[in-house]
Amino acid sequence: MEKYDVVIVGGGSAGLAALKQLSSLGKQAVLLEAGEKVGTKNISGGILYSKKPKKARVYNVEDIYENFLSDAPFERKITKYILHATSKDKVFSIDLTAAHNYEANFGCSVLLGRLNRWFLQQADEAAQKTGGGVVPGVHVRSIRWEDGRTVVETDELEDIETKAVIAADGVNSEIAFLTGARKKFSPGQLYQGVKVIVKLPEDIMNQRFSIGQEEGAAYLFAGDVTLNHIGGGFLYTNRDTLSLGAVYHLDSLLENPSEPYDLVNALLRNPMISELVRDEVPVRGEVDKNLPKEEQMRIRFAVTKMIKTWTELRGSSLSRTQREKMIRDGKFGSAEEMDEQMASLRAQMAEKYGIKFETDYVEAEYGAKLVPDGKRCRMEMPYIKNVLFVGDAAGRGIFVGPRIEGLNVGIDDAARAASAVARALDRNDFSDDHMGRYYTQSLEESPYTHDMKAIDKDYLKIFLDAAKGVPKDIISSKYGMVVKMMSSNTLRSFAVGFANILGYDKLLPIIETADTYVKVPTEMAERLGKPVTASYTPTIPSIAERIAKLKYNDDPRSHIKVLKPKSEFMEKMITLCPTRCYFMEKDGVMIQHEGCIECGTCSEETDWRHPAGEKGISYQYG
Amino acid sequence: MVTTKIDKIAVLYLDMMAGFNVAVIVKLEPDFSEGNVSYNPDGTLNRAETKNILGPHSAIAVNAAFYAKVRHGAKISIGTMGPPTAESMLQQAQILSDADELFLYSDRIFAGADTLATAEVLKCGILKMGSKMDIVFSGHRASDGETGQTGPQTAWKLGMTFLGNVIEYEINEQERTVRAKRLVRLQGIYDVIEEIEAPLPVFIAIDPSYKARFSTVSQRLAYEKYQREAAARAQNFKQYLKIFNASQIEADPKMIGIAGSPTIVYKVERIPKGKATRQADVIDGQDAEQVAKAVSRIRQALSTMVIK
Repeated sequence: MEKYDVVIVGGGSAGLAALKQLSSLGKQAVLLEAGEKVGTKNISGGILYSKKPKKARVYNVEDIYENFLSDAPFERKITKYILHATSKDKVFSIDLTAAHNYEANFGCSVLLGRLNRWFLQQADEAAQKTGGGVVPGVHVRSIRWEDGRTVVETDELEDIETKAVIAADGVNSEIAFLTGARKKFSPGQLYQGVKVIVKLPEDIMNQRFSIGQEEGAAYLFAGDVTLNHIGGGFLYTNRDTLSLGAVYHLDSLLENPSEPYDLVNALLRNPMISELVRDEVPVRGEVDKNLPKEEQMRIRFAVTKMIKTWTELRGSSLSRTQREKMIRDGKFGSAEEMDEQMASLRAQMAEKYGIKFETDYVEAEYGAKLVPDGKRCRMEMPYIKNVLFVGDAAGRGIFVGPRIEGLNVGIDDAARAASAVARALDRNDFSDDHMGRYYTQSLEESPYTHDMKAIDKDYLKIFLDAAKGVPKDIISSKYGMVVKMMSSNTLRSFAVGFANILGYDKLLPIIETADTYVKVPTEMAERLGKPVTASYTPTIPSIAERIAKLKYNDDPRSHIKVLKPKSEFMEKMITLCPTRCYFMEKDGVMIQHEGCIECGTCSEETDWRHPAGEKGISYQYG
Repeated sequence: MVTTKIDKIAVLYLDMMAGFNVAVIVKLEPDFSEGNVSYNPDGTLNRAETKNILGPHSAIAVNAAFYAKVRHGAKISIGTMGPPTAESMLQQAQILSDADELFLYSDRIFAGADTLATAEVLKCGILKMGSKMDIVFSGHRASDGETGQTGPQTAWKLGMTFLGNVIEYEINEQERTVRAKRLVRLQGIYDVIEEIEAPLPVFIAIDPSYKARFSTVSQRLAYEKYQREAAARAQNFKQYLKIFNASQIEADPKMIGIAGSPTIVYKVERIPKGKATRQADVIDGQDAEQVAKAVSRIRQALSTMVIK
């Protein structure tokens, strides 16, 4: 049996940070990732923060990767953070930039496919020096302890003996479940996020969001676009794409099931968002069905090729950096020359093949993921024996009003786990007392854990200050007493103190309600909002079209087994599965696993595994 | 120091002993994927508008060679007969295999070659690679010619044992043998896996379903290491590239090009469509009743079949 000092399960942002940190400490670690490549299974809403809490330090992304700010392919630094309350065609906006900047060094939009591949390069380079590295396409099946040895079993490789394991296998952690470290998360502890990537050329984006080349905008949405669910929408500017998504409390979705894609569609249909995603889109003309089959195919292929060429050229010509690069590389003499070629190509497309140019939007990728609400589900003891859990796997994420953070929490956890493991390796002591409890203690000291336990009154003040312009009576009808207390400095610390004594358990049912996320914002928009009109109606792809665009490596065996085909929960999955994998048959609910994007929404009542190595979904953007 | 000197000699000696040489013959083919391919109005391929790439079967052969590199540190040499533009295809092949040498056999005289004349050029080319090959790989067939003859003919000309349809292989360096699994058809039964052992050297035509298997972490780490090396090498692929013409590979002019081709493509015809003898019923997939009817008919049909 081959031996490696440490095995890290999962190559997301947290797992890679653990590898980088361990390797930097001179320890040997091997990271096993189930996806065909690192980054293909990862998806996030899209903002990675770097924080500077007043109370204690956290390990930030730039602490792990020193060259992050100069070299990493993050998308844009977010410089503008706005909450939009919506009601039909009316929108009322509240600037939350101050809340976004609270205790933050920066927050940048990211696409995990690209970013995790960069993390991989950095971490892998460090890991090679100690005889470790990253192995993609390997699914860890279980961990067994025998004769004082820890053995990692995988679907693809021979067993591996190790001294310690860092489990960074995400919100649906199989390791956590198999080892009995924790139960599966229940819907009450989770949010379901659904996201689409929309393409938009860089220059158009800069102009539309009034941002410069080095700036970015993050918009949040509440009100009628939530379709009465607890949660909201978001829209983040990436370099030349937008991340548009909806995040809702899974309990709220179970109570009043809505198709996840309808929740994204509701956002797309909002006139303000329709306008934000608007672009010029080439539309194929009808091919004459009377032509010979071969000729029809030839035309179809030629049209595909022209649209591809035009789209690429347009993307480059509407991006300063790419435009300059193409001119520098001698592909074009000048920007004018590019424009000329585009115009001639466009004319050719219209004349020769009847391609029309219409106003619409371009969707590139659809995806979904569960988000653990740390205040409800963080593991109090994030370890079992010599296995340490980090990030989503440990149920650690921050959900406080508009503040949603997961990537930075996972990275901080990973650094702490790496220190704990390195210390255990130095003394060759992997006992609970020496490693597991040490790690738990370190996490307790993290300011992020504090944020999962208690309300931060300073953050609350910034938030309330931002909403100052809102007439008191809108909010007062629901939170009169609370607002009054919060508005006064002395009473606020008393109120927060009192609330924190009550604890989140008792507090959440009061704060996280349809009133907060739906009614109050809707009323704000109705009374204070400005009307917005859309100049077109977006053509929203069906879920079948969205799935057809995704890349899968089919596994003929299903990684999910339905255990209770007649349960109420499973019946709801027909609606709540983001890729409509469930349907009703005579004998109850059945699954067609081929379209599964491994979000885990159905995990609670199914036998749920990640697919074998290289199998299943492979995101391009993430 | 004396010890280092001895070490160095020992390493050198080991290198010679362990030196395992692998060649791959590959082909430049049109990229038939939608969005890249262009057709003329008469239905023929528009070669000027269509990009050429490393053929898909060639890519599998290159992958198979890479397995020998990862497992045995083999030296890989890749050869192709083609126009000067085939250079970038060799770069693609190097990315896949971390090839140590790339050879392009390019000469106007090669034009019009059929499979036999092509095999002659490849034979001369492989002999010119400078190492005694332990294994030569080829793809199963080309996506534009579809004959599947060039591989076997090259093997015959080289006088090597030919193993076709190989889906998996293992090398035994001590015994100097190769064990291979072949996907074959036996007595009318498809998909039979035959396992054979042959002494080196051998010529392997790789099956489209070949997939390299690495069963330990250290093998997988070696795989990743060589992949990184490949990416770095391929950036300066011209450093590894040698271009030879007919006289440089010492090819007999009578055996190559049109002169060496006993066959020419006279005419390509479409295979006429067979007349359907069965009647098809179109059903509405939304209609449960119609679907149920179709299912029961399928069940009925299946019940009369003997499935072994």
